[in-house]
Amino acid sequence: MRELLPHAVSNGSKQRLAFSIFGILTASTIAHAAQIGKISETSWTEQALDFLSLEEPVVRTAVLGTLIIGFCCGVLGSFLVVRKLSLLGDTLSHAVLPGVALGFLWNASKDPWAIFIGATAAGILGVALVGWIKQTTHLKEDSAMGMVLAGFYGLGICMTTMIQNMAMGNKSGLDKFFFGQAAALSSGDIQLLGIISLITVVLVLIFYKEFIAISFDTGFAQAIGMPVQVLHYALMALLTFAVVVSLQAVGVVLVSALLITPAAAAFLLTDRMHWMLILAAGFGMLSGVLGAFISYLSNNLPTGPLIVLGATLIFVLALFFGPRHGFLTKTLRRKRQRQRIALENTLKSIFYLCENSDFERREFVVAELAVERNSNLPATEREILNLVEADMAEWIVDSNTPSMSGQARFRLSKEGWYRACEIVRNHRLWELYLTSAASYESDHVHDDAEEIEHLIGEGIVKRLEDRLQNPIHDPHGRLIPRRDQVIA
Amino acid sequence: MREQFFPAFDWHTVFIQPWSEYAVNSFWIVLMGFLVAGTCGLVGCFVILRRMALVGDAISHSILPGITLAFLITNSRDTLPMMLGAVVAGVVTVALIEAIRYTSRIKPDAAIGIVFSSLFAIGVILISVFADEVDLDAECVLYGELGFIPLQDIAYFGEIVIGPEPIVRMAIITLIAIVLLFAFFKEMIVTSFDSGLAASLGINPTRYQYGLTLFLSIVIVSSFESVGVVLVIAMIIFPGATALMLTDRLPIALVLSTVISGAYSLIGFHLATWLNASIAGGMTVIAGIVFGIVWAFAPQRGLIATFVRNRQIMEGSALNFSREEK
Amino acid sequence: MPLAQTDAESKKIAPPLEIHDLTVAYTKRPVLYGIDLEIPKGSIVGIVGPNGAGKSTLIKSVMGLLPSASGWVKVFGKPFKQAVTRVGYVPQRESVDWDFPVNALDVVLMGRYGRLGPFKRPNKSDKNIAMACLEKVRMAPYAKRQISNLSGGQQQRVFLARALAQESDLYLMDEPFVGVDAATESAIIEILRELQTQGKTLIVVHHDLTTAPDYFDRILLLNMRVVAYGNTKDVFTFENLQNAYGGRLSILSEVALSRARKKAEGDTPEDSLR
Repeated sequence: MRELLPHAVSNGSKQRLAFSIFGILTASTIAHAAQIGKISETSWTEQALDFLSLEEPVVRTAVLGTLIIGFCCGVLGSFLVVRKLSLLGDTLSHAVLPGVALGFLWNASKDPWAIFIGATAAGILGVALVGWIKQTTHLKEDSAMGMVLAGFYGLGICMTTMIQNMAMGNKSGLDKFFFGQAAALSSGDIQLLGIISLITVVLVLIFYKEFIAISFDTGFAQAIGMPVQVLHYALMALLTFAVVVSLQAVGVVLVSALLITPAAAAFLLTDRMHWMLILAAGFGMLSGVLGAFISYLSNNLPTGPLIVLGATLIFVLALFFGPRHGFLTKTLRRKRQRQRIALENTLKSIFYLCENSDFERREFVVAELAVERNSNLPATEREILNLVEADMAEWIVDSNTPSMSGQARFRLSKEGWYRACEIVRNHRLWELYLTSAASYESDHVHDDAEEIEHLIGEGIVKRLEDRLQNPIHDPHGRLIPRRDQVIA
Repeated sequence: MREQFFPAFDWHTVFIQPWSEYAVNSFWIVLMGFLVAGTCGLVGCFVILRRMALVGDAISHSILPGITLAFLITNSRDTLPMMLGAVVAGVVTVALIEAIRYTSRIKPDAAIGIVFSSLFAIGVILISVFADEVDLDAECVLYGELGFIPLQDIAYFGEIVIGPEPIVRMAIITLIAIVLLFAFFKEMIVTSFDSGLAASLGINPTRYQYGLTLFLSIVIVSSFESVGVVLVIAMIIFPGATALMLTDRLPIALVLSTVISGAYSLIGFHLATWLNASIAGGMTVIAGIVFGIVWAFAPQRGLIATFVRNRQIMEGSALNFSREEK
Repeated sequence: MPLAQTDAESKKIAPPLEIHDLTVAYTKRPVLYGIDLEIPKGSIVGIVGPNGAGKSTLIKSVMGLLPSASGWVKVFGKPFKQAVTRVGYVPQRESVDWDFPVNALDVVLMGRYGRLGPFKRPNKSDKNIAMACLEKVRMAPYAKRQISNLSGGQQQRVFLARALAQESDLYLMDEPFVGVDAATESAIIEILRELQTQGKTLIVVHHDLTTAPDYFDRILLLNMRVVAYGNTKDVFTFENLQNAYGGRLSILSEVALSRARKKAEGDTPEDSLR
């Protein structure tokens, strides 16, 4: 039998108790703490309708609460994301913990105002400390944030374990700050939320251009006489408000996600700040309601993580399908471009064939093109098929030639011919430009022109012509086909 | 109210009792605290210098789904699968952050925030969905409890009793950390200081970046059961940051950070004993206080030293009728 | 037998640096376009050009720090990776964190790391060499100083000493004269000359037109492309300078820009070209 430290054990078991009061820990506590729905409901459609009807006051409060939170965090988070301060939200949410504990100690109850004031004070102190450490030491911002985050949180943990050891009633008030329960939002909380978001909207509207200026270029904002420090701390105060009120719905660890993720999704979709604010607010609200809805349907899932995953889902969708920067959109665009370039390269080779015959011949067999393209017969035939599909070439049907022998004949259509001339012309103009205007050696320019010919549009071509005074021959002495060149 | 919150300070229970009646347990707790803080501190010095502090924070949170999944798959609480799950989670975190950075225009800080919060949310949901099956001590994951260390199974080497298993495990990690530090010190220092030079010397900076990240997740994984996922980041940043305030030499900073970690463990343990609070929390509070003291009084870089120096410069320049820049 | 001969021959004649048709485009900004260059042994070459002309980019892409879109670079007839120990590099002063906890001697010692190989620590003779290099740049008294406590000129000298410690045959220096005092500038140029007499080759990015003709025997006028390259007296003409500084070839830069932008967005993969 080993010797035991009695007070450590009692201490430990007390803490075990204390922590399970915090609701996160044993899963059953999560189940009970964070659900909105009723277990008795029969089918999920019925439950869904129930949720959507908004008849139950619990549902109404939860939906209203998550809507307001999503809105607030979306708007304020946008400023964090564009200032590359995303993780300051995380720092804030952890730093408020000792403030929450202090507010709780104030009158040993979960008076939302006392907790709100304590938390806000701690949050602003935390942000100020980050700035101060950064200014007065050689430590970098990430270390400063990490220290404030962990230091304040450690202090908070100490204080909460101490509170649990005190003989006080109504301890369970603190638990929702760790993981958040939208269902537990009271009408008092909603009032607080409403006031905060109103203040946020009004201030952002009034100081919109100032906030943008300090976000984009602090030095410039200072130079034109803006009170940069005041504005910075005003923004930070608003953020702290938003974090503190959101804690109750999503909890300490996940509140930073509400600030970052909707704003980041919006950032992927637009290049304008005001659109980003609007989109981020919309995404925030959407993920809030989505989280509350699924939580209601599933009966035993906590709201906070679901809201966060809702926001992540929106972000992933934006990441993949965003119209301009989306990953899949880009891949698709790239594929189309690759097809176009392949098509144009085939056209160019056909032009060369034509040119080699002094523009005497118009019809060619697949095997000839295969030699010119340095490729095999099936691949070349596929390339011609692609051209035919794009109406740029046509097969010459000749019953005498066996198929697949490489002897099938084809010719370019009128449009195909124009396109071929255009590509060769781009190529040769660019070669000429590089050798004459930029004084490159003529044996160096071909590879570059191979790439550029597919990229330059009519505008550049026109300017090249003007600059080169409508040239006739390329640096290798070959003819530059004119725009309206017809086959001889 | 006040008396209730701060328990009465009793010299005997706070300082004498732990080292007489319960000396063995106290020793294990303090040793474990020291091993955790010391190892985190060594790795942390490089983490700070490479500005990766918040990547560490992200990894420490992402561990939750990793160990939950490992538990669900193997249905055991053995160390190895848990460790594996957590390391995989750490690697996935870093890979996802990099993927978002390279495929989109999202800045790294936002990518870090999005990835770790999403993974953490998945972890919480996993735990609540499999509430009946997961008998995971989630409180241990989130807050850790050094106080339970002496209660763990004892590791044996043949017949010889070595000590509680977690301590033996942590000691092995510490040993590996020290060996790696000696083996790759010059590569770490040059890739951290000047990656351009490193590349021009034929030392691949990305390889060492990934190596450090991997080892960082291993250290976090082995530490979280003692100090929890949030406070492990305190143990990573505080010793290094404090040591770097005191010295200009990296080797000295590494030694100092180890000494400082020892102080966290010992003083934090007594603070927690007095306040009847979480020991990891106590260590973090001590870490914060020690940093505060060093910040104020450090001989070269401290607030007071800087203030005095600036005053002297101002006075000196006032005599010259010119204000010196910087 | 003939193979060995050509090998020996190529070793003899391989120039310190040979660049062929190098095009570099990164982060939506085109920087270099079809660079062709051959640097003869034992020369001091100044790379001169306006801001954003791609001077630093050229040096970085020689070392493979930036991916090139096309073309190749050979150092002493080999790809850079195989000739790593023969190249010394002096980066721009702003490129590192001067708060880093190392002293001047530590920084110079880093120059030896490439020769040490894995698991080996610098020994006494490495330290002696490092000390001698510090001596050479007249920084020996400051060997134990933390690097943030050095002036700009002193920091630059430490960087130079580090390059000396690399004992290379080709030195690439990125703006070594920026933000240094006159004494340091002349000290640096003295060392460059000395290196040259030892048969080393030096490539120096420089932005000061007034001193360039005095410092370098060959000059590369760069503005996205090679505007002119050759002996200083041939290159340093009013016309060439006007070409380099008097605005860009507008169509060239426009096309290069649009291509770089497309590449950054991943729209034009090279593999599709032919």
